[in-house]
Amino acid sequence: MSWLGRLLGRERMETELDKELRFHFESQVADKIRGGVPESEAHRLVRMEFGGIEQIKEDCRERRGTMWVESLAQDVRYGLRQLRKSPGFAVVAIVSLALGVGANTAIFSLLDAILLRPLPVQNPRELVLFGPGGGGGSTEAVPDESWRLFSDSFFQDFRREDHSFSGIAGVDSTQFAVKASIAGAAYETTHVDLVSGSYFPVLGVPAYLGRTIAESDDGAFGSGPVAVASYSWFQRHLNGDPAALGKVVRIEAHDYTLVGVARPGFSGVTVGQATDLFIPLSMEKAFSRPGWNGIGDKLFQSLYLIGRLRPGVNAVQASAETNLLFHQIIRGYLGPQPTEKHLADLARASVELTPGARGISPLRQYFSLPLKILMGIVALVLLIACANIANMLLARGVARTREVAVRMALGASRRRIAVQLLTESAVLAGVGAAAGVALAWKASGLLLRLATPGPDPVPLNLAPDSRVLGFTLGVTVLTSLLFGMLPAFRASGVEFTPALKDGRGSSSASSRGALASSLIVGQVALSVLLLAVAGLFVRSLIHLSEVNTGFDDHNVLVFTLDSSTANLPRGADEIRSVRLQEQMEDRVRAIPGVQSDSFAFVAFHDGGWSDQVLFQNITRTPANGEPVNFNITGNGFFSAMGIPLREGRTFGAEDRLNSPRVAVINESMARRFFPNRSAIGQRFSIGETPDHPGDIEVIGVVEDAKYYTLDEGSLMAAYFPCSQSPGFYGNFVVRYAPGANEREIVSAIRHAVAAINPNILVNDVTTLEEQVNRSIATPSLIAQLSAFFGVVAVFLACIGVYGLLSYSVARRTSELGIRLALGAQLHTLLWMVLRECLALLIPGLAIGIAVALTSTHILKSLLYELSPLDPASISIAIGAVAVMTIAAAWVPARRATQINPVQALRTE
Amino acid sequence: MKTEDRFDLPQGTLDLLIMRVVALGPIHGYAIAQRIQQMSREALQVQQGSLYPALHRLEYKKLLTASWQASETGREAKFYELTARGRAHLKAETENWKRLTNVVGLILKGTVEGIS
Repeated sequence: MSWLGRLLGRERMETELDKELRFHFESQVADKIRGGVPESEAHRLVRMEFGGIEQIKEDCRERRGTMWVESLAQDVRYGLRQLRKSPGFAVVAIVSLALGVGANTAIFSLLDAILLRPLPVQNPRELVLFGPGGGGGSTEAVPDESWRLFSDSFFQDFRREDHSFSGIAGVDSTQFAVKASIAGAAYETTHVDLVSGSYFPVLGVPAYLGRTIAESDDGAFGSGPVAVASYSWFQRHLNGDPAALGKVVRIEAHDYTLVGVARPGFSGVTVGQATDLFIPLSMEKAFSRPGWNGIGDKLFQSLYLIGRLRPGVNAVQASAETNLLFHQIIRGYLGPQPTEKHLADLARASVELTPGARGISPLRQYFSLPLKILMGIVALVLLIACANIANMLLARGVARTREVAVRMALGASRRRIAVQLLTESAVLAGVGAAAGVALAWKASGLLLRLATPGPDPVPLNLAPDSRVLGFTLGVTVLTSLLFGMLPAFRASGVEFTPALKDGRGSSSASSRGALASSLIVGQVALSVLLLAVAGLFVRSLIHLSEVNTGFDDHNVLVFTLDSSTANLPRGADEIRSVRLQEQMEDRVRAIPGVQSDSFAFVAFHDGGWSDQVLFQNITRTPANGEPVNFNITGNGFFSAMGIPLREGRTFGAEDRLNSPRVAVINESMARRFFPNRSAIGQRFSIGETPDHPGDIEVIGVVEDAKYYTLDEGSLMAAYFPCSQSPGFYGNFVVRYAPGANEREIVSAIRHAVAAINPNILVNDVTTLEEQVNRSIATPSLIAQLSAFFGVVAVFLACIGVYGLLSYSVARRTSELGIRLALGAQLHTLLWMVLRECLALLIPGLAIGIAVALTSTHILKSLLYELSPLDPASISIAIGAVAVMTIAAAWVPARRATQINPVQALRTE
Repeated sequence: MKTEDRFDLPQGTLDLLIMRVVALGPIHGYAIAQRIQQMSREALQVQQGSLYPALHRLEYKKLLTASWQASETGREAKFYELTARGRAHLKAETENWKRLTNVVGLILKGTVEGIS
């Protein structure tokens, strides 16, 4: 019979066991009678010899091996019944557990998706990334640190020479969001990765259908007009129809044949960026942007490189060879007579090989610390919740002493009692965790959306995988052990004779008190810590939102103009696109309510473009050697953004494509290059060449305005007119009159743009204010979450204090009654109870402050202009915890004063 | 209490005794206890509290098998029998036991100062 069968046949088993023992009993009685003992005496004797018959049965059941299943099922049922019997306790425990486990699971899912999950490729551990990853885009500079981006020439030269890698994959660090049309259907936004011919073989990602991109696709420009779809895009847009292979996908002016679909689950190497189509790097020119030299240029660095280590080669060997080759190859690119700065920079440059198993993620760098800190916060909240439940169970344990004693007297072993109480805890934890997982399911996606607001959600796979579920299971088991262990062992250690007599467990009350008190001291300490952390984040956020942006973010609309399907002229005809831009600016400005408008390469928090510049006859200093952030704008940009002009003029009709090149610079740039005189009329060039032509003249100086983020320092910035840098159809900013109807203006803008060219689309309409808010989405989410969890922590600690003191008052009812009868003053009684509360509060505060003072420095990099030891935040935390704790103690203290002495004495 | 002719069984010995008794033919629990008592010339009295858990454990380990049969008094009782596995086990354990007692006996043979 299998154990399952035995389990199902339990009923029969029980009758048989009973029958077997009864047979023995009666045979023994019969023997005694035969030996001449009177029948009633025989019964008595045998019963004495037998001992506890229930005990024997229990032992037999236990020996049968199915005992644990039977008793588990029994215990679970019993545990659920116990929970139903005290719904108040059950609700508090389950809600706090659901919150604790849910928050932990939600944050862990994010942590897992962003920081832990390996790429779905073959042997991900063999992959190494060239450079630390992140920082996508392109550069032609010679960085004097570990390089992140590499030119196509370097990629080709390097892989011809190296011996460390069995293969190297290259992928353009920019993911292109373009409009694509499948076989003539409507254009839809599609995310394209440009990849080398070695990409799929090196990563070991096979084709699900058709083929992947081959080396033969990645030759000269135009050699591989093919595309490989990601599986999810293939499902969404082609319904997984294999007949779709061979169809033509049109992107801008080029056609690509769909030759294959990559293995399900694989959507590129960048975490947080899902790729729809993979296209060979040989087609890069088709995706070129104005101002790009493209992959033909030896120093045009735009690729991420990922190598697969050759078997037997370790990371140290690979790094040594890589850096040697790197310096040789780049030295060759700098020409026969490189500048001293280039040589010095190259001497400091290196290629750091980093583990590539988890892919590349700009999110990772940004979210790593916040996620770890949030993980810490929610873990502490769960700990507080556990302490609370342990306390409640201890209190229940005392109340159940009699029950436990009765069950022991009936033959239950101590182990059995402990297991049963632990099972009750596990049932509680299980119910709480189930609710928590349901909560986390929704919450992790929501958190991600809140942390990264924008038109499109970040495509992260948040489906709970085995690791997340394992984590939750682990957390649940751990919590049930944490809060169940102490009460269980305490209860199973009951000395049952006094307990049976007494029934109220006063004998174990004092030690229970010490244990409960230390749990509460711990809770108070943790809640001070969490509130202090929350205070720091909130105050840092306040500082951040009070930053002077340098622009006026009220009444400004920002949107993008997508011209990718408009077939705008390029090259010699570019002037026409400048005229088109000017027409659009004029039309939009004519809309009633619009005050000023302008194209802009970037408005705020849109990424950027930067390089070093040199003025004629100005020597390099560390201050002016920093990169200058560039923007390309229309004539109305400064008035639309509300950036005040300090000196000179802004762009006007006189700045044409063929007129001398001009720039407006900001005050920081003017000051760093010309500390003592005006920058107007000075000439500079972009780049590092010492014999530069000085082709750009400064015509105006404007106030500093924030460029990337609110917490950046003072950055140098230069603005160039759209008319002299044609082809940028990025953002468009519109300032409207206060009180104007925003919606009407947006629809008027759509009409105006459509009237000029119906293929130019107005997308991602938002406001400058919203852009600013988005830029601080992560700090504000951290502040909100930490504040929320801080409040939850304090609340849980208050429940703990309230519970303990109520219990203490209830237990001392008679003592308090006697005191009252003997003439004690009410305030004396009040003080007696409050003193108990202070005995919990003061050590709790002391520990909490000590921990806070020694640990908050890890938050330093997340705080804006705020010391991690900010006295205000810590004082607020102390004050709030103290007030809340005393308030929680006040209720039982009041109850103590309302005891009726006569009644109190009578109950004893 | 007569401590001189009653003593505690070493761990695991009870199983061996039970199997030895059962090896003689199908037998119920009460008879097993009595048979052990007889065979040990009243030196061993097996308590019900040890006997039945041991029987159930042996049955669970598939060394014994049980069936309900009419007893000598006509009442239905649970009769235990050795399985093939139980028989092999008993044989091996008996060998073990003999070797062990031999070895222990060798060592304890000489009289030591202080022990008489």
